[in-house]
Amino acid sequence: MRGTYVFCLVFFGFLMVTSCSESQDFDQIDDLNITPSYEASIFYVKAQETLINRVAGQSFFTQDFNFDAFEEPFFTKRVLSGVLTYELENTTSKPIEIRLEFLDGNENVIDTEVFSMDAAPTSILSRNVAYGPTGKSLDIIKTTSKIRLTAINLGDNNSESNLPDPAIELRSSAEFTLEL
Amino acid sequence: MRLPHCFFIVSLLFALGVKAQKKQILYDFNEIPQSLSLNPGVESDFKWFAGVPLLSGIFGYAGSNGISVHDIFADDGIDINLKFRERALNELSPRDEFSSTVQVEYLTGGFRDENPNLFYSFGGYLELDNIAYWPQDYAFLIFDGNADQLGRRYDLNDLKTRGSLVNVLHFGVNKKIDRNLTIGARGKIYSSIVDYSSTSNKGYLRNIEGQNNLIATNLDADLLLRTSGLQDLDAANDGDSLTSEIISRALFGGDLGLGVDLGFTYHLNERIIVTGSLLDVGFIYHSSDPKNYSLDGSTTVEGVEIDIVENFANLDRDFWQDLVDKVETAVPFDTDYDSYITFRPTKLYTSIRNDFGEPVDGDGQQNCDCTPGSFSTGELRAKYRNSFGGQIYMINRPRGPQMALTGFYTRRIGNILAIKGTYTVDKFSYTNVGLGMNLQAGPLNFYIMADNLLSYNNIADANSASFQFGLNIISWGLNW
Repeated sequence: MRGTYVFCLVFFGFLMVTSCSESQDFDQIDDLNITPSYEASIFYVKAQETLINRVAGQSFFTQDFNFDAFEEPFFTKRVLSGVLTYELENTTSKPIEIRLEFLDGNENVIDTEVFSMDAAPTSILSRNVAYGPTGKSLDIIKTTSKIRLTAINLGDNNSESNLPDPAIELRSSAEFTLEL
Repeated sequence: MRLPHCFFIVSLLFALGVKAQKKQILYDFNEIPQSLSLNPGVESDFKWFAGVPLLSGIFGYAGSNGISVHDIFADDGIDINLKFRERALNELSPRDEFSSTVQVEYLTGGFRDENPNLFYSFGGYLELDNIAYWPQDYAFLIFDGNADQLGRRYDLNDLKTRGSLVNVLHFGVNKKIDRNLTIGARGKIYSSIVDYSSTSNKGYLRNIEGQNNLIATNLDADLLLRTSGLQDLDAANDGDSLTSEIISRALFGGDLGLGVDLGFTYHLNERIIVTGSLLDVGFIYHSSDPKNYSLDGSTTVEGVEIDIVENFANLDRDFWQDLVDKVETAVPFDTDYDSYITFRPTKLYTSIRNDFGEPVDGDGQQNCDCTPGSFSTGELRAKYRNSFGGQIYMINRPRGPQMALTGFYTRRIGNILAIKGTYTVDKFSYTNVGLGMNLQAGPLNFYIMADNLLSYNNIADANSASFQFGLNIISWGLNW
């Protein structure tokens, strides 16, 4: 019986003496930053030269497009910064100006991007526009509800490019950093 | 609540809920009645036993093979963001698991039949268990995002988790066939209180160079989350009747299932014994409150695409909403209420044991005429002071079977005390040393056991730890 007593003392003593933990700080969880960056295409617009030639006057196309992606509460509450990447390709025979206007819910213009391109052959125009601490105000992105696209023909209405499927193509993508 | 909090709370729940029911110390520790729960064919010499309600068997386990609490939360002055990236995000893989089990035996007992070769046992216990594997690509998407990762395929299969809270009622028979062989079987009725599983996910998310636009995003998803009981418990919680709802679902008001445990003990000779058991061969049919969520389909999007000539007559339409509709049609998020079946995580134990040393003598049951051998043949199966041997444990898991190897040594001090030490190797640890003690003070039986003792100097740094203790009253038919 004495042996049992001694063993119990040793067993529990061992566990009690050795059972410990180095200092842990669970409040560190408040310092954990989750700031992923997501990337996707935004919009793609194509206007063929045949269309441009059919429309008299300089402005051959103006249209407002609803764009609610930036207005999603999940996005607007968490976005820290972003970059919009544009790529404009002109294979038509005319110099072209593309005007992108960002409109808020009241259809006020809150930002404008203008792209001017010479007639083909010309290289692709690429532009990155930053929003956030190192760029334009993030409020522009957060309050954008529509995008107005205006295309202006700075050339004639009868010439035809000899490139295949001549057109103006505007490509764009966005990369945004969020705080989750 | 910030998402980091949510993420960690979910991780913690996973860790508190996973299933690793390895009880290597209790297995083949025949002095303890609860060893019957791991091998219904164990050699028992009790006339009867009764567990102290709610105290006869309490078992807890938590484990993570790839990371410990200390790795992330040590108060070491290192930025938690750095620790998380270096020790979790860049280290863990989808095969790393977070698991835990809690079992509380609220009723247990056993008695010997008039035919002394038959021993019956019965009882009930609650079991909470969960398992989650590290969702590697989901974690990369959450912590890093998919920017500048053109061509990288994020595997949706990385999400694998399941868990349940089950009440188990069981009744078992243990039969001594002859002097060398004892077999046993136990039937189980499962009454599931709550269950969830998401184990068969497939698909990927990937950005590639677009055909028209700069980026094309491919989503190919076949995701399914099955739940049962959550709605009832949520409604009961709103109506302040959560406790009664849990009790109702635990007592056959929830999802029911059946299972069986099988086991044997066989003496190769007087001192060498092999044992084996197969536990929880069974299923639960979830029909009382199922709710399943699925995301199934595939699509490729390149943003809002407007070909002015093609859409000239309809340029006023909402292209953004069209894009949203296209994605939701191609990859619909659906909910259904279909019943489903889950199979219990089947476990396999086997061991070989060599007894040596002097037979246990002195006062107590071993010298009485009530050991199993004495009932039918008058021959006593002596217990020896020492035993050593090896055990194998396997469990069926969502990513395939897992195995543990254990070597053990048991020392009996009279009929009062038995001590078992174990050394176990598994995916969690190569330094898992366990110790168990069984104390018999008259009819009162007390046992306690814990593993991974070497980690107790810094329990937060342990990859896994388990404990078990219990209190029983045992009779060998003597006049205590």
